[in-house]
Amino acid sequence: MNLKILFFASLREQFEFSQKEITLLKEVRTAEEFLLDMSKQSGGEWVDLFENKSMYKLAINKSFLHGKILFTKEMSLQFFHR
Amino acid sequence: MNIIIQENSFSISKIISDLSKKDNVGAVVSFSGYVREFSKERQLKSMELEHYPGMTEKALEDIVQSAKSHWDIQEATIVHRVGKLLPKDIIVGVIVSSKHRSNAFKACEFIIDFLKTDAPFWKKEISEEGDAWVSERQEDVVKKTSWNKLD
Repeated sequence: MNLKILFFASLREQFEFSQKEITLLKEVRTAEEFLLDMSKQSGGEWVDLFENKSMYKLAINKSFLHGKILFTKEMSLQFFHR
Repeated sequence: MNIIIQENSFSISKIISDLSKKDNVGAVVSFSGYVREFSKERQLKSMELEHYPGMTEKALEDIVQSAKSHWDIQEATIVHRVGKLLPKDIIVGVIVSSKHRSNAFKACEFIIDFLKTDAPFWKKEISEEGDAWVSERQEDVVKKTSWNKLD
């Protein structure tokens, strides 16, 4: 399954891209699991995101994320700085 | 409900005047926010405002709907600018009309308090010392939280 991720404002500048499409591993089903996977695979700023949840807000399909939501097809994940 | 996101400036007095002419309006309350010349003692040259189209409008509509569920208001208009702004420029206007002033005052304050934390806008301040993204202010979070007792 593919996931589109979008970064805005300072996070876009920090990660040096605004949009990216990522193919998820089968076992990655939530935003939390996605961040853990990216922090293991890519390190760097992804580790900061995983470890410092107070530095950003997360939205799925243009709604702020409250609690755990399972990824489904054609979802997009948005990261905003606080 | 009227939600407008635009680059151009706007006249808040024109919106107040338009709302005041509607039937049975007894009060119109407005808030207008402006770009300050100084931020943390740095003199601003300009400010750049970014938003997330689609999500911003939805977030603002939800805020107005929430205000309407708490107070008997007639109309609410939010105008928010994006793009490059200069010191003294108007950034945002919230205008609320109702039969009685108390509802309009409370709803207007509620809307701007939630807008500050729940709407996806980001500000970058440009000064001689460099550029800096503006972080969420803790005071704004506390102010928004103070409305929790309504529920």
